Amino acid sequence: MPAPLLELEAVTCRFGGLLALDQVSLQVEQGEIFGLIGPNGAGKTTLFNLISGVGRPTAGLIRWSGEAIGGLPPDRINRLGIARTFQNLRLFARLSALENVLIGLYQRGHSPLLGALIGGRSFRRHQVELRQQALQLLELVDLSAVAQQPAGSLPYGSQRRLEIARALATGPRLLLLDEPAAGMNPIEKEELSALILGLRARSELTVLVIEHHVPLMMRLCDRLAVLNFGRRLALGTPELVRHDPAVIEAYLGVSS
Amino acid sequence: MRDLSLLVQMGFGALLALSVYLPLRCGQLSLATPGFYAIGGYVAALLSTRWPALSGGGASYPLTSLALELLLAALVAGAVALVLGRPVLQLRGIYLAIATIALVEILRVLNLNMAWSGGAVGIFGIPQPFDGPAGYALATGVLLALTCWLCSRLEAMRLGRAMSAIREDELAARCMGIPTADVKLIAFVLSAVIAALTGVLAAHFLNTWNARQGSFDASITTLAFVVFGGSRIWLGPVLGGLVITALPELLRPVGDLRLILFGLVILVGPILFPQGVITPEGLARIRAAVRRA
Repeated sequence: MPAPLLELEAVTCRFGGLLALDQVSLQVEQGEIFGLIGPNGAGKTTLFNLISGVGRPTAGLIRWSGEAIGGLPPDRINRLGIARTFQNLRLFARLSALENVLIGLYQRGHSPLLGALIGGRSFRRHQVELRQQALQLLELVDLSAVAQQPAGSLPYGSQRRLEIARALATGPRLLLLDEPAAGMNPIEKEELSALILGLRARSELTVLVIEHHVPLMMRLCDRLAVLNFGRRLALGTPELVRHDPAVIEAYLGVSS
Repeated sequence: MRDLSLLVQMGFGALLALSVYLPLRCGQLSLATPGFYAIGGYVAALLSTRWPALSGGGASYPLTSLALELLLAALVAGAVALVLGRPVLQLRGIYLAIATIALVEILRVLNLNMAWSGGAVGIFGIPQPFDGPAGYALATGVLLALTCWLCSRLEAMRLGRAMSAIREDELAARCMGIPTADVKLIAFVLSAVIAALTGVLAAHFLNTWNARQGSFDASITTLAFVVFGGSRIWLGPVLGGLVITALPELLRPVGDLRLILFGLVILVGPILFPQGVITPEGLARIRAAVRRA
């Protein structure tokens, strides 16, 4: 049996006296849409930080296609095929939407130095291709109309979608979405859900998503993990998680 | 003659401003420029005064020797920047500024006290490759044009985009796969090389070189060029370097008042133009206005 795309084995993360993650284990399979839910402060974003290299686990192993990647720097992790968005939006605010996506295309933007310096024909052609790729990605998230506007001036929901386009530009196999629907209205949430499903269908993308909107997650995700106080409370299909007594008590509140 | 000399100094100002601008282009406030300027000057001064073979037989110092000095100064400054850059660039914001000021001070104190650098007296009688200021104006103009061209090409290249990304949000840039440490190091090395090349020309132009050429004062002056002109596009530092170098001379007719006026310009500039006189948005507006007219 091949190794799972992403595997966490007893991952622990401690900030001084605070135990942010306590021996969390889970496996994400290729092509899966995997959800992470849990109350605020449960350790979801910390988990994303560890996977994306922003933080370093205190103990435990993170494996990517079987290879240990815990503690590698974020740029290395991204080049291995893991891209992320940020809960608190970290767009390049003064740059245009198009430039934000072009920066995401950095790895594909390599061209010979001399050609770039003199602005030769093949360099210019390559730049046109990059712009087209960037525009296609903006089209995908329905932002091509605002390509030239500064990212910071866009409405909140558009900024969230721009973050997704920028992350996709890096050519990931695994996309980490940190609260992608936050601040979106119900129609935008539906469109987002369709976008994520479409991405998986088209490019065999695997998605790991954090979101508070539980009904959306129940419909979108193949499997869910529930975190509470840094511990994995439950893991399984939405149906299974919904009826887990521990989850109902800790998070979903009133039983249905 | 005087006017041409001023032009040369303005060119040096613009070059040093671009040297400060490059690290700032990726959000790194490095004040090391005068240190590398001093290194370039000493390379030129030492080679041209202590190595007779370079002087040739003619009346003026050969241009090929000047070219060799430029090459060696670039290599020395680049190598120093490469070695120091890795650890120093891990510092952020004001801490990087302080560390680079310390670098400038260490070099200054070394140059002041070592025998080979001529101690406090410095090195005199640096030979002249050009007959008068016209030659220096031409050489400085060529170097400035090349540097401007490099900076403008950066805007079209992925290196320039990566630098913008780091300036806006370094962590997000790293998460987009950009090797931020390498990009910052490239900017720092380029900055050092430009300053050192300027130092070579300046040493010949001034005819003498000493430890006062690379001081904390110079760090602040070069920073003022960029604060005044703007740090978001290369035209800003060029303008800042040209104008602020020329200002004390242009204000000479008003006598002692000139220092007050100079201070006022430095003070009022950032208040009226917090992002510097030249910004990409401002340029776009001018371009649009020109098209309409």
